[in-house]
Amino acid sequence: MLDVATQPSPVTLDRDAPILEIRRLRTEVPTSHDPIVLLDDVSLQVHAGRMLAVVGESGSGKSMTFLSALGIAPPPCRVAAGSVLFEGKDLTRFSPEELRRLRGAGISMVFQDPLTALNPVFTIGQQMVEVIRAHRAIGRRAAWAHATDMLARVQIPDPPGRMHAYPHQLSGGMRQRVLIAMAIALDPRVLIADEPTTALDVTVQAQILELLDGLRRETGMGLVLITHDLGLVARYADQVAVMYGGRVVEAAAAGPLFATPRHPYTRALFRSIPRLDAALEEDLPTIPGHPPNIAELPPGCAFAPRCWLRGARADCETERPPLVAVGEAGHRSACLHWPDMAHAA
Amino acid sequence: MQTLVQLIVMVFGICTLVFFLIRLIPGDPATAMLGDYATPQAIAALRADLGLDQPLLVQYGRFLGHAVTGDLGASVVTGQPALDQILDSLPASAALALSGLAIAVLLGVPLGIVTARRAGSWTDTLVMIGGLLGISFPVFWLGLVSVLLLAHEIHLFPALGAASSDDLLDQLQHLALPALVLGVSTAAYIARLTRSAMLEALMQEHIRVARAMGVPERRVVYHLALRNAMIPILAIIGVTFALSLGSAILVEAVFSRPGLGSTILKGILARDYQLVQAGVLVLALAVVVVNSLIDVAYLAVDPRLRRA
Repeated sequence: MLDVATQPSPVTLDRDAPILEIRRLRTEVPTSHDPIVLLDDVSLQVHAGRMLAVVGESGSGKSMTFLSALGIAPPPCRVAAGSVLFEGKDLTRFSPEELRRLRGAGISMVFQDPLTALNPVFTIGQQMVEVIRAHRAIGRRAAWAHATDMLARVQIPDPPGRMHAYPHQLSGGMRQRVLIAMAIALDPRVLIADEPTTALDVTVQAQILELLDGLRRETGMGLVLITHDLGLVARYADQVAVMYGGRVVEAAAAGPLFATPRHPYTRALFRSIPRLDAALEEDLPTIPGHPPNIAELPPGCAFAPRCWLRGARADCETERPPLVAVGEAGHRSACLHWPDMAHAA
Repeated sequence: MQTLVQLIVMVFGICTLVFFLIRLIPGDPATAMLGDYATPQAIAALRADLGLDQPLLVQYGRFLGHAVTGDLGASVVTGQPALDQILDSLPASAALALSGLAIAVLLGVPLGIVTARRAGSWTDTLVMIGGLLGISFPVFWLGLVSVLLLAHEIHLFPALGAASSDDLLDQLQHLALPALVLGVSTAAYIARLTRSAMLEALMQEHIRVARAMGVPERRVVYHLALRNAMIPILAIIGVTFALSLGSAILVEAVFSRPGLGSTILKGILARDYQLVQAGVLVLALAVVVVNSLIDVAYLAVDPRLRRA
């Protein structure tokens, strides 16, 4: 078995140029009146060999950002503005066929629920061969051999046997490994893992994350972890982007973000993590109110109605805060009053 | 083994139902055979001869006792074994039902897939309205219209009857129009069900994943999604076979084709209990056999049904 954790250190990387860069992406659902804006002004960078964690509540636009970037946002959603740069090319100008060839090969994805993500009426081998042959002009036999190697690479026992298994014969963790094997079969430069462990039990979660992290180090691909599990973020991520209401509200390297969050929403998220050392009688702090309805965002800051910092500041409700540099290099926040956070409780 | 037990229980149930249902029809064979001017004595004599004077349960017991040996009695009209008469008229009906079903599948499944891919488009709306019409118009009406249009007006096909020779081409020509009518009317069911099965399959998460992994759309639809949709499609084909057997009887009547339908119809009119029992039993068995075959086909399509 391959122990990725003890592999010699990674390929040398150009640590500055991102391999995938999303710039000011805007995704809308057209209606007969004003379009509903699902994503607005979303900018993210994925670097080779590093992990970007995208954090936020359900409906904050985490997954939608990457589905839009890859041209697979469910209709009638459509990208209205912005660009997506991958290896110097703008994906928003790609034809559907060019995007198809990129998906699964240059940029690949792993999804949330391994129980429904595999086709129940085909064997593991048939499904992997289908994906490999969608991108490479090789024969069935060669594709089958490659798929078997990939199963070994994600540490599935008895790969030749598992190739003939149907999804229902495998456990959830094994199925997620199969999906990861499928996603890395074509050596992607970027792997997007959309809540890859949410549907799995805790012990398996750690194994899957270790596997993904090992593959990242081994291949030098950029890894995007879409999650709402801040524990995973703290442990694995290099960069973090926090999303709220279809926008990025804070972005930074993981260390500074956890040490000094510069957006009230981020700090509220951190406080709502259960702690082992908290007194039993203390209630777990929660964020008051509900995640915003994306169709009826307030004109100002989307978090303003729930904000603990807000007090009586009128500008939060009228002015949409831009994402600006705050403090340390690369740390950005979309809060008009972030300096006040240091003094507030 | 389990399937076999199911089969036996079903056949027994069908025998029982047929036996009692036909006796619920007013009138009896003796009266029907002897005509309006028969004397009560003559009728009573014939009834005794046919065993109709016995209590119903005794008749039923006799019927079952003979049936297990494959003896379904003799037709009261012709005196020949009822089963032989039915089996003689089976091939013509089977040819009609199977070719009708084949046309229905070859027409309905592709139409269902195309409309599912373009759900909400004009093509979809038009085909679905056409399908609704196909379901709404009774098959005998479609038969009459097609005779008028395709046989009487443009002489494309012979209008009535079956081939008088063994010539294959001649037989096919006579089969074409009835099979087409039967096929088109049942294709509507298959198209509608295929459409909804495909829509359902295309909404599955694993289809989203396949697209996200760059599998070409044509493979996604015709290979990955279709295999999933085949499960409900097979189910409707099984149901449709029973339906098209029933419709075949009507179609035979419209086109004056010999077959099971006309034989059974004659039997009903003459209150020829034995003939009707044999006919319905054979029809029911055909449906049971086809549905058992479909069950086997399920196993081929859906690995989850196979034992580990």
